[in-house]
Amino acid sequence: MKMKRVLSVALAMTMVAGLSACGGGAKETGSTKSEDGTVLKVAAVETAYGADMWKEVCAAFEKSHDGVKVDLTIDKKLEDIITPEMKSGEYPDVIMRAVGAESGLTETFVKDNNMVDLSDVLTTTVPGEDITVGDKILPGFVDNTITNPYGDGKTYLMPMFYGPCGLFYDAGLFEEKNWTVPTTWDEMWELGDKAKAEGISLFTYPTAGYFDAFFYALLHESMGSEKFTEALKYGEGIWDTPEAQTTFDIIAKLASYTESTTPANANDNDYRKNQQLILDDKALFMPNGNWVIGEMADAPRADGFKWGFTALPAVADGGERASYSFFEQVWMPKSAENQDLGKEFIAYLYTDEAAEIFAGSGAIQPIEGMTDKLDGDNKLYYSIYDDGAVAVMDAFATTDAVEGVTTRATFFDPVNSLVSGDETKEEWIEQIKKDSDALRNALK
Amino acid sequence: MKNSKRKTGFIAACVTPAVVLFILFMIVPTIDVFRMSMYKWGGYTADKTFVGLDNFKKLFQSDKFYQAFQNNILLIVVVTIITFSLAIIFAAILSREKIKGQNFFRIVFYIPNILSVVVISAIFSAIYDPNQGLLNTFLALFKGGTLENPILWLGGKDIVIYSIAIAMIWQAIGYYMVMYMASMANIPESLYESAALEGAGRLKQFFSITLPLIWTNIRTTLTFFIISTINMSFLMVKAMTNGGPNGASNVFLSYMYQEAYTNSSYGYGMSIGVMVFLFSFALAAILNAVTKREEIEF
Repeated sequence: MKMKRVLSVALAMTMVAGLSACGGGAKETGSTKSEDGTVLKVAAVETAYGADMWKEVCAAFEKSHDGVKVDLTIDKKLEDIITPEMKSGEYPDVIMRAVGAESGLTETFVKDNNMVDLSDVLTTTVPGEDITVGDKILPGFVDNTITNPYGDGKTYLMPMFYGPCGLFYDAGLFEEKNWTVPTTWDEMWELGDKAKAEGISLFTYPTAGYFDAFFYALLHESMGSEKFTEALKYGEGIWDTPEAQTTFDIIAKLASYTESTTPANANDNDYRKNQQLILDDKALFMPNGNWVIGEMADAPRADGFKWGFTALPAVADGGERASYSFFEQVWMPKSAENQDLGKEFIAYLYTDEAAEIFAGSGAIQPIEGMTDKLDGDNKLYYSIYDDGAVAVMDAFATTDAVEGVTTRATFFDPVNSLVSGDETKEEWIEQIKKDSDALRNALK
Repeated sequence: MKNSKRKTGFIAACVTPAVVLFILFMIVPTIDVFRMSMYKWGGYTADKTFVGLDNFKKLFQSDKFYQAFQNNILLIVVVTIITFSLAIIFAAILSREKIKGQNFFRIVFYIPNILSVVVISAIFSAIYDPNQGLLNTFLALFKGGTLENPILWLGGKDIVIYSIAIAMIWQAIGYYMVMYMASMANIPESLYESAALEGAGRLKQFFSITLPLIWTNIRTTLTFFIISTINMSFLMVKAMTNGGPNGASNVFLSYMYQEAYTNSSYGYGMSIGVMVFLFSFALAAILNAVTKREEIEF
């Protein structure tokens, strides 16, 4: 009898053991040492430029560094892959993911003071060249609120691929109709009325999120550098200034000129339908970045369609015209195990060798001389600054996490409601002021 | 004596694995949600700050939370009532009436259940498209040609939540219909025969025989359905509008997701999780109490 009891207990134990083995997961503990050297873990998001360039660059880095193996994770949904690993304590050494992504991965690391100070990378000499990384990077790209999030003069995020954002349109249509591209907002409204008579809307946007670049550029145009910086820090009373009111007025007026079905498709699934409005000549302008060309490459288009690109019209005649420079960032989490090698890798990304590989896929880094090597379509977009447009690069200042308040929901999402008429300009501004107070108190 | 002790021991040994697993994978994570809701934490670092009930205080002052709450309750009420009424009516028709192609209809109604939420949302995005969508072009027929102001099914602040409700109803009807058909098939034919002899019409039969006899089934599925609506509404919203336009279609879980995973407020997100947990529990308990009837057996 006793035997039977022992047996049943034993069987039950085996069951528990068997099942808990399932739950425990079979994750191998990642060793950072390969048999003959160090393994550098790099995680990069796959964007329109594709994954091949990263594979090539990593291979080239391995070749130039004996005994180093680069373990590259690259995926369109990078967070889905690396987040579980990070939760279990395994961090990539180097991460390429820009702020402004929906997941807020980069923002979370910034808010948590969880990044490695990369200031010394700037003073490092680019491997195999006789110039420092800091000198090679175009001015403005490493002293803005994105790369130096805490305003302490230290660089925590390094700028990678950049692209001007502005208004895209069908240049063919403008030629056909003999219209000129407006240089001031007043000309813009005039054109809007003209186009309306022909059944064409003046404006559309992919999703309200695309208003970030648009808003920053417009704010810079109407406020000038000094007040712009203050606004990005949610300065007290800044939204009551006449300059800020001008910005709100323009956006509210633009909302009334926006193609009326835009908000219905302004979500992550259907935004291409809004972009299609430009290709179909149903709307004239949309705010976007140069990735849209690749994104819509296979889409049908109106006869004679030709991509056109311009900076934002000026607020007043002869005033400043701005274009937001979107750029991606590469950074290192504090828990990175191979910090020195990681910095070496980042410095390597700025070599001519690496830049050429990236440029081969259309990914342009903000380094000296890159724009001279461009040709074709790309030249058109990057030459926008040569034509006098001011490059705006900053973003809203970093704060501690404010529960229930995001800049996107406060500043940009309401544009949908402005267009559909569900919310008034005043309600929008009220919300901005209220949330700015909360954000100001949480400034880093 | 010895025998019963041995029996207890055996039972204990048998249930231990299940209990251990249950504690490990259900109780512990649930307690963890409650614990984490009292921290300010971004989700990635080791340092968390204990803030007590601060997260809840902020939650109760947040318009966005109330909006999500309202939307969720609206979905629960509207979707449940319509889905259940239609499912029961269709089930009664398909199992009691002799109509041609019964099996065909059964399959047609059940198909949405096989489709994944992503496919369903793609289908409905196409239907709701303001310019080329099925719905607006159909409406345009009555207005002769084109719509002056196309209805923005997924773009209007007030209408978007109903658009999502319709997709949810379409998706759920078939499954529940099949469940009710199964329990209706168990009702002995003799009951209907004698009722007919007594002069009861179809409607009378439905309310006096069919409904009372499948009540236990309705009760169980109702609780089950309401809890799953909370989950389902998240999937639908995530796939169709992602909470837009301007947060008008946010539900509990999509708001929680936004806060926990995109606003670096994991602790705050967990406090929303706690509210959802308590709400679901309370709702299930209330429903159970309200729908309690004397069980009728045949």
